[in-house]
Amino acid sequence: MLTPYDFQENLQQRAQYIRNRLQAGSPVIGISYDNGIMLLTTRRRGRKVFEIYDRLMLSAIGNQADVETLRVAAIDFAHQEGFVRSPDDVTVQRVVGFALSPALKKAFGDPLTTPFVVRALFAELHDAPERDLFYILNYDGEFNPAERFAVIAGTTGAEDLATRYLRDALPNTPTLEKALSLALVAWGIAREAALQEDRDTIPESQARERLRDELQEAQLEVGLLERQTLRENRFRLIPPEQLQGYLRHL
Amino acid sequence: MESRHGDFACLLQRWQAQTGMTLPLFATRGESTAPAPPTSSSSPHAPLLEVHGTTVIALKFKGGVLNVGDRRATAANAVMYDRADKIIPLDDYTLIAIAGAYGRAMEVVRYLRHAFKYYARSQLQPMSLEGKLQEVSRVLAANLPNALSGIGLFIPILSAYDPDQDSGRIFFYDASGARFETPDYGAAGSGAERIRGVFDYIAKTKGAFGERSLEEVLREAILLLDIAADLDAATGGIDKVLPTARYVNREGVFEVPEATLRELVQSLRGG
Repeated sequence: MLTPYDFQENLQQRAQYIRNRLQAGSPVIGISYDNGIMLLTTRRRGRKVFEIYDRLMLSAIGNQADVETLRVAAIDFAHQEGFVRSPDDVTVQRVVGFALSPALKKAFGDPLTTPFVVRALFAELHDAPERDLFYILNYDGEFNPAERFAVIAGTTGAEDLATRYLRDALPNTPTLEKALSLALVAWGIAREAALQEDRDTIPESQARERLRDELQEAQLEVGLLERQTLRENRFRLIPPEQLQGYLRHL
Repeated sequence: MESRHGDFACLLQRWQAQTGMTLPLFATRGESTAPAPPTSSSSPHAPLLEVHGTTVIALKFKGGVLNVGDRRATAANAVMYDRADKIIPLDDYTLIAIAGAYGRAMEVVRYLRHAFKYYARSQLQPMSLEGKLQEVSRVLAANLPNALSGIGLFIPILSAYDPDQDSGRIFFYDASGARFETPDYGAAGSGAERIRGVFDYIAKTKGAFGERSLEEVLREAILLLDIAADLDAATGGIDKVLPTARYVNREGVFEVPEATLRELVQSLRGG
């Protein structure tokens, strides 16, 4: 039977389709610590945490090609602006708010294009931890700033649980070591909650178990932007052998 | 439309096409608003309003390359600026030292810094040393029409740490973008010509710079700069304002601290 085109129904179907595909994504935990800002996630294939500009990095869940499109658009905009104006004018609110969000919204609302299957977390480094910024960018173009820490995961319920855990457990200005150990548990909580919906709490032991399982097949990936460094580039990935040390206490 | 191969010039061309504006980097004399190039009959001082940086020196040491430069920038025989920084890191493995037209050189340095980082960030691997050298050639060749018209001529020396050879490497260029590798040391700028023989003398009597320690080579470099300042009025020397000294090795790019330089200058003067 031929049904008339219903705008609202169409958007709901698209949103449902995207949410189903995001659900299996590996969560990303961002925490601002004393000497920098970090993004933690796991990967099975390609890289997951990306340097965008001098003080900006990105990690996302979703379709690899869509993440790649978003990443390239962000890098292009940042470098264009950084050269034509100045590096100080490249800010996360400009990159997300003006360069990316409208394009996502357009693709999401246009029935003739495939929407982006993506949920992205941006982290912007400042001179003090309390001024660091996170931006969560959604597939429909909506974006939300956050301070101190931020989580993206397969479901909103999973994000809420991990966020609640970090809000209670995270000291005001953690060290990198402390931030990493809390991020590992938060990752486990978010992952477990996304896979088993309708859970109100996830015990820490179960979260660790989930992470240990994941690391049988996947690798941990942690990207840092360092506040004080002698290096020209503030961004670096923590090398695998160093990550092994942090995982011993898991 | 999209520049997926990580070429920064391509990205900027796209920006120009979108905005209809021309960046100074891509402007040739024909389309810029600057006055027409001086003809032979006009005043010989016409192009000399341009500020020029003077002497920069690159010396190898064991495991890396040291760059030293005075801080003076001149326009004709006027000292315009005595805090010019002519030695600039391009990334964690590469240093560039600039002699000649200061404004143009800084624009190109800004471009190169972005170009190397843009490539590394978008392609998820650092640009190869060969790729970086080629990029420098490309901007110099593009600048040639300006240089020929008498404005914007500069000569860079590129110093890099080469992980494949675990050593420093030094490359110098001419204005058309031709690239030459030098085995042990390099220098550019008005003071450099005068002290060419001194490099040879030091290398032949004390051994190649590349075999000696950073501390020893730093002392030689400051001494060389002092001699250049004695022989060349446009070179700022080491007394009034401390020179810039940066080096690159396996660990990255570093600046020699002011205190170290001050001590060194004092010991040279005391001796």
